[in-house]
Amino acid sequence: MNAMTAPESFVADLADSQVTLRARNLDFFYGKHQTLHSVNLPVARNAVTALIGPSGCGKSTLLRTFNRMYDLYAGQKAVGEVLLDGENLLTMKDVAKLRSRVGMVFQKPTPFPMSIYDNVAFGVRLYESKSKSEMDGIVEGALRKAALWEEVKDKLKASGLSLSGGQQQRLCVARGIAVEPEILLLDEPASALDPISTAKLEETIGELKSDYTIVIVTHNLSQAARISDYTGFMYLGKMIEFGPTDEIFMRPKVGRTQDYVCGRFG
Amino acid sequence: MLSRPALRAIANTTFVTACGVATVLALTALGFILYSLFKQGFGGLDLNIFTKDTPAPGSVGGLRNAIEGSLMMCAMAMAMAVGVGILAGTWLAEYGGAHPYGHVIRFLNDVLLAAPSILVGLFVYELVVRPLHGFSGFAGAVALALLAVPVVTRTTEDILRLQPDALREAGAALGTPRWTTIKEIIWRGAGGGLLTGGLLAFARISGETAPLLFTALSNQFQNLDLTKPMASLPAVIFQYALSAYDDWRRLAWAGALLIALTVLTINILGRVVAARGNHRP
Repeated sequence: MNAMTAPESFVADLADSQVTLRARNLDFFYGKHQTLHSVNLPVARNAVTALIGPSGCGKSTLLRTFNRMYDLYAGQKAVGEVLLDGENLLTMKDVAKLRSRVGMVFQKPTPFPMSIYDNVAFGVRLYESKSKSEMDGIVEGALRKAALWEEVKDKLKASGLSLSGGQQQRLCVARGIAVEPEILLLDEPASALDPISTAKLEETIGELKSDYTIVIVTHNLSQAARISDYTGFMYLGKMIEFGPTDEIFMRPKVGRTQDYVCGRFG
Repeated sequence: MLSRPALRAIANTTFVTACGVATVLALTALGFILYSLFKQGFGGLDLNIFTKDTPAPGSVGGLRNAIEGSLMMCAMAMAMAVGVGILAGTWLAEYGGAHPYGHVIRFLNDVLLAAPSILVGLFVYELVVRPLHGFSGFAGAVALALLAVPVVTRTTEDILRLQPDALREAGAALGTPRWTTIKEIIWRGAGGGLLTGGLLAFARISGETAPLLFTALSNQFQNLDLTKPMASLPAVIFQYALSAYDDWRRLAWAGALLIALTVLTINILGRVVAARGNHRP
């Protein structure tokens, strides 16, 4: 690619009708240290958007602004806009409500110290009281969607911590979707899993996108290529390139993207 | 000149031997204590211990009033200390720990943890005994609670800090209010550790004598009224062990054995309960 004509960055735009979440000129600070620089990113509804980039590029930080997870820590702040269906979520008053709309699954499985059933029911109970049979239905539905039901249906009373790592991660997915969020954020959800568990989780993600919008941070380029519809490549706190996954991997417009997806650095 | 591996082997053997000797020394001391406790105390353990009150020298008696007093004051002290200690420890671990006030409170708690118990007794004497014009079981319980609170606070904070931040984030990610996350997830995950903290505190106060001498005093007769002076096992042991009467000294040994057995039993039971409640495979 010719250095004279290649752009520094390129963020493909998506039509508003297609977009459910949109970061606009987003800066992020850890104290005085700025880690995101004017990031723009459209997230398409009912699709999987992958965020890739070398360690420390800010992809997890970006993800954690989408549900205001940074609110837990003093000294962290986001400036700019993250529009959720047109409303800037950075200034929303009701963070609990926001997080019920934007769920999250973490790098390491984080089952709560309670039974498998209660893990899934926990979030639902925060928002509404259901009858036993309604709750049973919600728990079963969420576990089925997370492709875990067949493995745990006979031991719902067992501790969530008694499951294998891969099962625990799918339990966390079930817990996240039981509250019916619009968006599910996945922060390197497979990095602590073995290949078979990873394959199962990827399969689950593929099935979930018909009901949910998914944003996934991953270190694994082939995983991003396999499961995502759109990909954003980040470097040093900037969104270098965003577009349909095929474009990013086959015909990147920015030289640095090309270098990264070809494995020349990172 | 010895070779490097040979030197390492010598250093290793020396260190392992030193550790072994230290362990044997510590365990031997413990063994002697337990041995003399059983040897001297076991003979005195009979039904009278539980059914008769502390006797005059030369007459038949037991430790019923002291046992009842100890149980009542310890239970009341623990009821006060567990609530305060767990909430204070939770505040330090989850809310105010990094705040300047947090550092001050943690420091003061550590000071209290190491405070001589006789000072706590004098403090409660001024605080409770004098204003209420008399020694009482209630004052004794307050003194014991003051000794138990720092232990519970400290262990609670330590245990809660061991809970991974990922768990707090996972709670928050569902939109769980902070307090609900702590109550339903963090406390539950730390249940075994919190119980251990309570047991440590109980073990600490169950043998305390000095703070009771200024507060509950003691009582030769049965008394279940917390506003009156109350007997306790440690106070009776103190009084009887120093006496010139063989039967009193026998009772003191039996009382000491009782305390040791109670602490041991409660610790074992606590471990079993904690292990059963743990969410581990």
